[in-house]
Amino acid sequence: MTTTRRAFLEYSGGLAVAFIAGRALAVMPGKGQAIATAPGFDPNVFVHVATDGWVTLVCHRSEMGQGVRSTLPALLADEMGADMARVKIAQADGDKKYGDQKTDGSSSIRNGYDDLRRAGATARTMLVAAAARRWNVSPNSCEARDHAVFHGKRSLGFGELAAEAAKLPVPDPGDVKVRPRSELRHVFRDLPLVDAPAIVAGKAQFGADIRLPGMLVAVIARPPVVGGRVARYDGKRALAIPGVKRLVEIPTPKPPYGFQPWGGIAVLAENTWAAMRGRGALEIEWDAGENADYDSDRYRVELSKSVRAPGTVARNVGDVDGALSKAARVAEAEYHVPHLAHVPMEPPAAVAQVKDGKCEVWAPTQYPQEARTEAAKTIGFSEDRVQVHVTFLGGAFGRKAKSDFVAEAAFLAREADQAVRVQWTREDDIHHDYYNAVNTQLLTAGLDERGKLVAWRLRTAFPPISSTFKPTNQPSAGDLQQGITDRPLAVANVRAETCRADAHVRIGWLRSVYNIFHAFSVNSFIDEIAHARGADPRDVQLEILGPDRIVTLAELGVDELSNYGDSLEKHPIDTARWRRVIERATTMARWDQRRADGRVLGLAAHRSFLTYVAVVVSVVRNGDGQIAVDEAWVAADAGIVVNRERARSQMEGAVIFGMSHTFHGGATMKHGATVQSGFHDYRLARIAEAPNRISVDIAQSDAPPGGIGEPGVPPVAPAIANAVFALTGLRFRELPLPDGGRVLKSGGP
Amino acid sequence: MIMLKVNGEARELDVDPEMPLLWVLRDVLGLTGTKYGCGQAQCGACTVHLDGEVVRSCVTPVRRAAGRAVTTIEGLSPDGSHPLQRAWCDLAVPQCGFCQAGQIMTAAALLASNPKPRDADIERCLAGNICRCGTYTRIRAAVKRAAQISEE
Amino acid sequence: MREPRAAPVLVVAVIALACGCTRRQPETTSKGGASLSQASSGGLRRPEEFAQIADRAARSRALFLEASRVFLHPRCVNCHPNGDTPHQGMDLSVHDPPVVRGPDDKGVAGVQCSSCHQDHNLELARVPGAPDWHLAPRAMAWVGKNPREICEQMKDPARNGGRTLAQIVDHNAHDRLVAWGWNPGHGREPAPGTQEQLGQLVADWVASGAECPNEGATP
Repeated sequence: MTTTRRAFLEYSGGLAVAFIAGRALAVMPGKGQAIATAPGFDPNVFVHVATDGWVTLVCHRSEMGQGVRSTLPALLADEMGADMARVKIAQADGDKKYGDQKTDGSSSIRNGYDDLRRAGATARTMLVAAAARRWNVSPNSCEARDHAVFHGKRSLGFGELAAEAAKLPVPDPGDVKVRPRSELRHVFRDLPLVDAPAIVAGKAQFGADIRLPGMLVAVIARPPVVGGRVARYDGKRALAIPGVKRLVEIPTPKPPYGFQPWGGIAVLAENTWAAMRGRGALEIEWDAGENADYDSDRYRVELSKSVRAPGTVARNVGDVDGALSKAARVAEAEYHVPHLAHVPMEPPAAVAQVKDGKCEVWAPTQYPQEARTEAAKTIGFSEDRVQVHVTFLGGAFGRKAKSDFVAEAAFLAREADQAVRVQWTREDDIHHDYYNAVNTQLLTAGLDERGKLVAWRLRTAFPPISSTFKPTNQPSAGDLQQGITDRPLAVANVRAETCRADAHVRIGWLRSVYNIFHAFSVNSFIDEIAHARGADPRDVQLEILGPDRIVTLAELGVDELSNYGDSLEKHPIDTARWRRVIERATTMARWDQRRADGRVLGLAAHRSFLTYVAVVVSVVRNGDGQIAVDEAWVAADAGIVVNRERARSQMEGAVIFGMSHTFHGGATMKHGATVQSGFHDYRLARIAEAPNRISVDIAQSDAPPGGIGEPGVPPVAPAIANAVFALTGLRFRELPLPDGGRVLKSGGP
Repeated sequence: MIMLKVNGEARELDVDPEMPLLWVLRDVLGLTGTKYGCGQAQCGACTVHLDGEVVRSCVTPVRRAAGRAVTTIEGLSPDGSHPLQRAWCDLAVPQCGFCQAGQIMTAAALLASNPKPRDADIERCLAGNICRCGTYTRIRAAVKRAAQISEE
Repeated sequence: MREPRAAPVLVVAVIALACGCTRRQPETTSKGGASLSQASSGGLRRPEEFAQIADRAARSRALFLEASRVFLHPRCVNCHPNGDTPHQGMDLSVHDPPVVRGPDDKGVAGVQCSSCHQDHNLELARVPGAPDWHLAPRAMAWVGKNPREICEQMKDPARNGGRTLAQIVDHNAHDRLVAWGWNPGHGREPAPGTQEQLGQLVADWVASGAECPNEGATP
């Protein structure tokens, strides 16, 4: 056994996954693991080539099911010429040296694509240079592939070259050439799911799976209402529970809350069961605080009033008021989407240990660097004394970008002077979420005598994400860049306004965020216009989209668009791509033959996170009135797609995800507290509801990579609502559908 | 003292008899493949076998397992070779993976009693297992593949 | 042209009778004249009250009617469904997670009753428990039935599990799963009275001839 291999096994801490032939060896961080400190070649922070030939590639995005660990390293490996069968994937700790590590915004590929290719190209260039030196030939006559450098028939393995390559100067990234795309042999196709063997054997480590000697488990009683605090408490009965060790008061956070812990009383115990029992035995009187009167039913009325009055203009073209006053007909509709909770299968959990002046954290976090910052801030350490390891995430959808639960673990570990796992229960997860914003919109259209749109006015009210970080009571123009100000409309007069909405809960971002409700309203409204006119909804979608073009800011009627952090030059709003996904989805679904086929279909399309997606669903209704989606078709154009297999799986999953908030909804609040507390009253789509088939078409495209994880979600709810209208004649403008989608009646024309 | 077998190994445990089997497995025995998803028997992430029968370990008191054999995902096969595990890999079923141990353990009980299940059997069997990532269509296909039923 | 919001559809209640019947006036019989006291919700009338009814048959019918306040309570009716799924809650909600009866009234592979339901209620989990948790066979379906129909079913060996009347008394008075109805846990409303009281009512009903209530009689 070589030194390197032994070193690997030592620092893997026995957590390495069983190696399956042909699959990369996937390593999740163990206790005190260092990444690749064995001798070898480290051209950059992403690549380590050991002298025994094992290549370690660092994945600097969090794995939450979107397949980032199966994709980013594969891209790097392909560029480099490494063989994935001899690659170990190491998960990056939160460390500025990796640059941005935020796993959100459907951005891992589009933000990492160029950097990772250059990182792989740098490694390749240096290995080739080392080989060329040894053979005394020109580097241009050498080729790196299959984990070796070739010159004609002779070859030298990467391991053999590592020591020499390590002595060479690292070229400037600008001087390194990436391969032509056609030379990348594995990516842009289906890639293997590297972590599947570990997952199906129960070996993949999530946050709660990390165990440390002497670790205590903490279950926390948090104020039911945001802004509340403990007025008084009695912990006698809790402390009497066998296994409970101590109680710790967590300081009450001051607004704006950000990622601060929620406050309350933590029960620390020897095991999770004792901690849960202990919390159940706490007697606490809460001071509910400023949001004690929050009632989501009453708030719904407030939002409705808010959008019935003019707001702050965010987008303006032409003269909407004039056009409306002259229109032959005016159509108006109000839409509402409740707060949505993330409800990942893995409730938040984090492990922390403060020892010898250092804090070590293991967490399923989407933001390892921000988690490090928050943990450090909470315990008053400088960041260099805090280390954050990233475990697998059992689903996140945005929840685990918020490091409140990490800060709780760090705080309690410091207080207890013991390793602590903070375990959120399912009830905690639903009660104390950073909910997606609740939203009401008023859409008003002016139509001419032929039913063509001459005016479009949209008002939207929702407590924005920024309200969690600063006092704000109205969406900003920037907030509307998810589905309102970036939405092409071939209408001469367009205006969008934001209206007031106060926040009474912590607002966060949930898988496609504001696009969920903006796509719902716009696609439903277009469908309503189509039906009112007796026209085909697909035709009206295309008509309102307008002719093929690159949409300008002037056309949109805005001064700027953040465009999901990417430039409009690189990722323009291209209506031809929008049109094509509509056409592809409807063709796949046999839209034009639907009546002949005896099917009822609904259509919606949306661009978000720089990707275009159209969804068609087919709905049926049984004798009890229960509506079901029996088939779904998704057409997506995400530009260059590195891993087509995971792109398809994300679109499939997005359909189910969207079905949950369409059929089952939403979080509601009474007396300031969230009503729902579990899967019995925050219902999610189950297998029996899943369509018989979900067909996904991922376009072949040369455009720069767009997002994959989120864009499938926004069109799902409106496609279903539109299909339900076609089936029942009843228009539902509010999510969820009533009674879980049981609709006994039918509406007339 | 509770005596039981876990994945073939005899264990003697000094634990509260009412402690749910889930926490015995995870906290006491360090078998973390079985997951906590809700603690209310609503989601199925905690599914294990008790003498071959499906139980939701988050609500099963460990005393119920006394003198009996518990099988967790770690013990379903020595090496990931159970037909369901292979099918799950072949079809790239998992996304985040958190629910999958529960899905597989539940489906394993079905296949053990019904090697050629119909679609309706698969659906009913797995109806209680939630997947937030939405892998249901692949789960169905993988169960059928594992049962070597050809799919339309 | 603002279209009205689609109104949610009302769920059709299968039984309007079962819930709230404790507050109605009892049906008095023409013979034997004495009228029973106002039923207290949550309580069962004491056996002595029925002694006032002189006519044996009338007394017998009244006793069963009183017992049917238990049988028709959601705690009991939920597991005496007329279909393949149990109910939950106070309004015949469909059991969630979705489960089915199975060949032996104990569920199917993967979701047997005993997969989740333990032999007792639990401290932190809401899932109810009692020994041998399972569904009453289809022959003993009570959903959609009135007291007379339940009475006839209960007396019929072909539909009551082959039981004698004495065994029926024993089942109601002592069965541990039946007992759960009065100790349902986690804030669920228990069946009226106590199991002991029900047992006494059923015993008195048998002793007085096991007469079935008239068509359309309600407690």
